[in-house]
Amino acid sequence: MNAALRIQDFDDPTFDPFAATEEGYGKDIYDPYSKIAQLAKESSVQPHEYRVLFGQLPDMTTADMQHYSAFGYDLVQEIYSKPEIFSNKIFVRMLGPGFGRTVTTMDAPEHTRYRRLFQAAFMPNVIASWGDSLVQPVVDELVSKFAERGTADLVTEFTSLYPFYIIYRQLGLPVDDRKVFHKLAVALTITSTNVEKAAEAGAKLGAYYEALTELRYAKPGNDLVSLLCKIEVEGDRIPKEILVSFLRQLINAAGDTTFRATSNLLAALLTHPEQLAAVRRDRSLIPQAIEELMRWECIVMTGFRQTTQDTVLGGVHIPAGAAVEAVNGSANRDPSRYTDPDKFDIFRKPGARHMGFAYGPHVCIGQHLARLEMTRALNSLLDRLPNLRLDPDKPPPQIVGYTMRHPEHIHVRFDA
Amino acid sequence: MCLQCGWLYDQEKGDPVGGIPPGTAWEDVPDTWTCPDCGTPKSDFDMVEM
Repeated sequence: MNAALRIQDFDDPTFDPFAATEEGYGKDIYDPYSKIAQLAKESSVQPHEYRVLFGQLPDMTTADMQHYSAFGYDLVQEIYSKPEIFSNKIFVRMLGPGFGRTVTTMDAPEHTRYRRLFQAAFMPNVIASWGDSLVQPVVDELVSKFAERGTADLVTEFTSLYPFYIIYRQLGLPVDDRKVFHKLAVALTITSTNVEKAAEAGAKLGAYYEALTELRYAKPGNDLVSLLCKIEVEGDRIPKEILVSFLRQLINAAGDTTFRATSNLLAALLTHPEQLAAVRRDRSLIPQAIEELMRWECIVMTGFRQTTQDTVLGGVHIPAGAAVEAVNGSANRDPSRYTDPDKFDIFRKPGARHMGFAYGPHVCIGQHLARLEMTRALNSLLDRLPNLRLDPDKPPPQIVGYTMRHPEHIHVRFDA
Repeated sequence: MCLQCGWLYDQEKGDPVGGIPPGTAWEDVPDTWTCPDCGTPKSDFDMVEM
């Protein structure tokens, strides 16, 4: 192995970022939706940070800013639709220390330029081939470990692993160092409570990815890094600094969110056995099951923006330079847009587009891959675990969190 | 396909929420229509083979 291509752990290798992130997501908060509905009813724009409304400590990276939280479908859509007023520059301070200059921190025209280049690698026609070559082998390998057993915890043995293994394979990361990569990637997200550790993780991942991109520029392979190194749109290519920052973000963006979404999809279907049975019988229902899941259990509950000028939102004056949070979870359960919004119903009549992947110029770049991965995962579990059902001797899955949501366990039985 | 986010226009489905009934040919989608995912104008769509 190339000497430069060795990931360095934290200077204090005992540092554990996982505990900090789990606390941050609010693992003791089972039902944030009742409070969200109550807040929305009181006022659609609250002059507070979302996490503070839930009794948590403020984000230290935005402590000097005025904060507003916006509820309801119309306001969330308005925020995402007006990037010239609601800017992504807030992520320079929130994510920048760890991730660097990612597309998440940019506005047009810079964002438009780089987004188109990165998106070219994640277009539906590009990722379609990854289903057989990349996703299915990972899914098969993991399911094979428990398919003969008759019982499993689908979170600890499957959903918390498979999207990460897929992205590790895409990036060609060494198997022996996966735990260090995962730890550093998770630490990038703790800027709100520990900027120093996030910055250290960013520096270490950055050094690795710089060396990796140099290798791929010189000798391209069939991996994602090689693809991103050579992508060209109308004569434009991705500068190395921007590419390295994107790679830093990728494990979280591609792994963490799909882990939660797949966990929630399985929890939703297993606790609604009549809908699970319908999907088992008719796999063409999987796409609408995924869309309903993304509406019903929003993976990322809020999206941050920063006002570029004085503005009025929902009748409330907001000064320039304020932090505004679009509460995606309130949009997705807005009773003015969805009948019986708290009900999980894969047969729901198509209505307003959900905000599960956000909306606007910064809509999730990996949404097509996420759908592909979830489809493959669900199909394989239904194919290989006959009569899949909840384990009646174990607690049912409980989706928790107020900023990001997932169940900690899904105990199941099946006919082995 | 939207070049900015990858959203696919399917003539069979149209975009009912965006005012485009199912069965509407791409040529008949008005130029003022925008991508339902990211808001990109119709002019930034391109044909792709799936």
